[in-house]
Amino acid sequence: MNTLVWALASAGALASALAVIVQRNPFISAIALLGNLASLATLYLLLQSDFVAAAQIMVYAGAIMVMFLFVIAYIGPRGEVQDERRRGWQIGAACAAAGAILVEVAWTVGRSGLTSAATVKDDFGSPKHVGELFLTRYVGAFEIVSLLLLVAAIAAVVLGAGARPNRVRMDERQAKVRAARQLAAQREPGA
Amino acid sequence: MTPDVGNYLLVSAAMFTIGLVGVIVRRSPLVVLLSLELMLNSANLVLVAFGRYHGGQDGQIFALVVMGVAAAEVVVGLGLIVAMERRRMLLDTDEIAELRG
Amino acid sequence: MTIQATAWVAYGLPLAGCVLIALLGNALPRRLAGIIASGAMLGAFAFSVVVFLRLRGRTADARSIHSTLWTWLSAGSFKVNMDILVDPLSAVMLLIVTGVGFLIHVYSVGYMHGDVEERRYFAYLNLFVFSMLILVLAGNFVLLLAGWGMVGLSSYLLIGFWHQKASAVAAAKKAFVMNAVGDVGLAIGIFMIFKQLGTVDYLTVFERHNELGFGSSTINGICLMLLVGGLAKSAQLPLHTWLPDAMEGPTPVSALIHAATMVTAGVYLIARMNPLYSYAPDVQHLIVVIGVAGLLMAGLTALTQTDIKRVIAFSTMSQIAYMFVGVGLGAYWTGIYHLTTHAFFKALLFMGAGVVIHALSGEQDIRKMGGLKRWLPRTYVCMWIGTLALAGFPLISSAASKDSILAAGLEVGGTWGTLAFVGGVAGALLTGIYASRLMYVVFHGPTADQAAHDAEHHTAHGEGPATMTLPVYILAALTLVAGFLQFPSLTTGMSTWLEPTTYGTVQMVEAGTSNEWIATAAGSIAGILGILIATVLWRAGRSAPVAFPRPLAILSERRFFWDELYHYALFVPTAWLANLLRGSLERYVFLAAPDAVGSLAGVASRRLSVLQTGIVRIYALAFAVGVAGLVLYFMVQAA
Repeated sequence: MNTLVWALASAGALASALAVIVQRNPFISAIALLGNLASLATLYLLLQSDFVAAAQIMVYAGAIMVMFLFVIAYIGPRGEVQDERRRGWQIGAACAAAGAILVEVAWTVGRSGLTSAATVKDDFGSPKHVGELFLTRYVGAFEIVSLLLLVAAIAAVVLGAGARPNRVRMDERQAKVRAARQLAAQREPGA
Repeated sequence: MTPDVGNYLLVSAAMFTIGLVGVIVRRSPLVVLLSLELMLNSANLVLVAFGRYHGGQDGQIFALVVMGVAAAEVVVGLGLIVAMERRRMLLDTDEIAELRG
Repeated sequence: MTIQATAWVAYGLPLAGCVLIALLGNALPRRLAGIIASGAMLGAFAFSVVVFLRLRGRTADARSIHSTLWTWLSAGSFKVNMDILVDPLSAVMLLIVTGVGFLIHVYSVGYMHGDVEERRYFAYLNLFVFSMLILVLAGNFVLLLAGWGMVGLSSYLLIGFWHQKASAVAAAKKAFVMNAVGDVGLAIGIFMIFKQLGTVDYLTVFERHNELGFGSSTINGICLMLLVGGLAKSAQLPLHTWLPDAMEGPTPVSALIHAATMVTAGVYLIARMNPLYSYAPDVQHLIVVIGVAGLLMAGLTALTQTDIKRVIAFSTMSQIAYMFVGVGLGAYWTGIYHLTTHAFFKALLFMGAGVVIHALSGEQDIRKMGGLKRWLPRTYVCMWIGTLALAGFPLISSAASKDSILAAGLEVGGTWGTLAFVGGVAGALLTGIYASRLMYVVFHGPTADQAAHDAEHHTAHGEGPATMTLPVYILAALTLVAGFLQFPSLTTGMSTWLEPTTYGTVQMVEAGTSNEWIATAAGSIAGILGILIATVLWRAGRSAPVAFPRPLAILSERRFFWDELYHYALFVPTAWLANLLRGSLERYVFLAAPDAVGSLAGVASRRLSVLQTGIVRIYALAFAVGVAGLVLYFMVQAA
């Protein structure tokens, strides 16, 4: 039973992950990530980590992803800039590096001999235990994360609304970057 | 029977590499952020799986902290994207290349 | 105050004088610099006398005192101490260096008066004496080498004192380079001693000298290398060419170099190392040969020189050569004895020459002098005393000391002893001729117009300031009596006094009474004969028509072509090689290399900057590749 659930959830996680990166439309990518997060929550449940699974759904799917969707809605479902310069070798190299890492990890895991997990009580991973740990042993990490979130919130406000848009300057700068790049592109074949 | 920790690790590794490929290949900052989420979540999976394997709950604490960090990162990342949009910049990571040597 | 403390004070006073003058700099009135320097020397001399007297008060076997102030160098078991060795030999040297040095300082006060750089001069002069004291009082070889080098440095500074004169600067450089050759030889000798015995301490080396083996190649090598140092410092063949050029320095400096410091160092070195040299008969024979060749060659050269100071300089070379013969024969005390008497009469001659030069506004060419006894009667008398001493006139210092060397030659006998005796007598004849020639040409006969004019003007108030004339009189008196330190059948002051410096290792050569009298007779007759020959030839002064056989005259005037030999054998090939390398190696390698390195860095960084695309995705890709590689590395490590 567990194996079946694991297989389904894993397949779901991987498929949705793939969908995230291959979809042109960011909106669909975001939805695919939602699926991925849900699959992961299932895996967490299989690992008897109930509280993490719940947090995954509520914090990630409920809060973070909603923020994503808001931004996507604000920007509009624009597709990625059509890419005349995208090079095949980049994709090839990325896949090769990623594949190498995957093979290496798989090989290491295969050799590691990690088999039987520890036996745990039924209330393993319950909110009670996790909460207790958070407020005793890891209270420092807890506070720091809360501080970090506060700073991030302020940063978002500053980034989004604080600075007055200075269109002209930014456009100029961008134009400069583009011109430089075109120049480089022209020079390259000759060199 | 229950799938052992190695299986979870493999799933996690696969997810991580998919996220990595996404970060490298995609140029929309939104999708890059989504791919980063994939990589963070794969790390979370490893933390939780090893926590279960060793019978301790510290891994879960770590996973929760990572979620908090991910939230902060997304907030800042999305703030940047919004700022770019407000300045009418192209939403293309390759355009932000002022560190070019 | 113990003897050690007294010696240390004598040692430190010239240094203190030098440092004081150097530190006060322009705050010091010019006149005062000479007084400070002379005062320091007087103090040093007084303390030296105390050291000498207290040493005399001890029994002969208790006259060697070793004193360490602090550990100078320490590396593992290797230790070099800042130490002094006071024994009869270094006490004699101490007295000569500080005593004659003091007189030369006083003389300098008069001679250098009015020079714009008196302060620098006196600081150097004190430094010179201090360097020499390091050399003669050192208790170990490393300190000896330090003194050796410092004497070279001081002589460089003083010979080139008039640095606006190009010839003075060239002469200073020449002296320094020649001495550097000697320093290297000395250093190699010291390295060899350390390698063999593992110590650089004098007394330990003397104690264990027999471990090197009598006549072995090791001890021969050591003595040969030490000899190279001695030859350079004492201006002996073939490292002598710096000495005549060194006359470019102020005259008191010449006196200091020739009488009290510097050139005596080589004789002192061999006398000091007598336990080593007595075990290296081959090197001793070499020293005798070098000495005989040197005294004859220098004597012949002095016959035709026209510079008053150069004549005296070559006489120094020949007298030092006598000393080398003496120490080479194993009669170490004779070398030191001649060194002592020589210090008096050579300082006297130089100072007299200085008075002459002073009176003639700096004129040094004897062809432009003549008849000066009219204006400089006292100097004339004093110079004659010095000349007679130099020529070996009976009863005057050199007669006793030079003849003791000849007597040692007779005593040793055989090839080398006979060579020393015959060469020495021939040299005495030459000495009589050239020394008297100088006197006749300078003081007799008609006077050149310019010289007469200058002498008239300068001697209106006597022959010079008292600071200049008094030291000359004192030295003349000393020259007259110095010959009685040891006189055949009369006194044995010198040989008895220096007996303990062998540290019981060897027996110094001491001639029997009959040999002593034969040598005295031969030396005196040769000297008087030489004086008579000169009287016949140069009675008329500078106008005397004297024609030497042509080849001899050329050899003598060109100083046996040593300068030319060095020029063509060393300078020309070296300059050719240097020019060749400048055209090739320098131009295409050393000058091109920095440019190449620079442009390489430029090109490389331009090429590498392509990697910095500014595109984050590429960085991420590089990162991923790096991670893959790193994981692979750890996998390989684990497997």
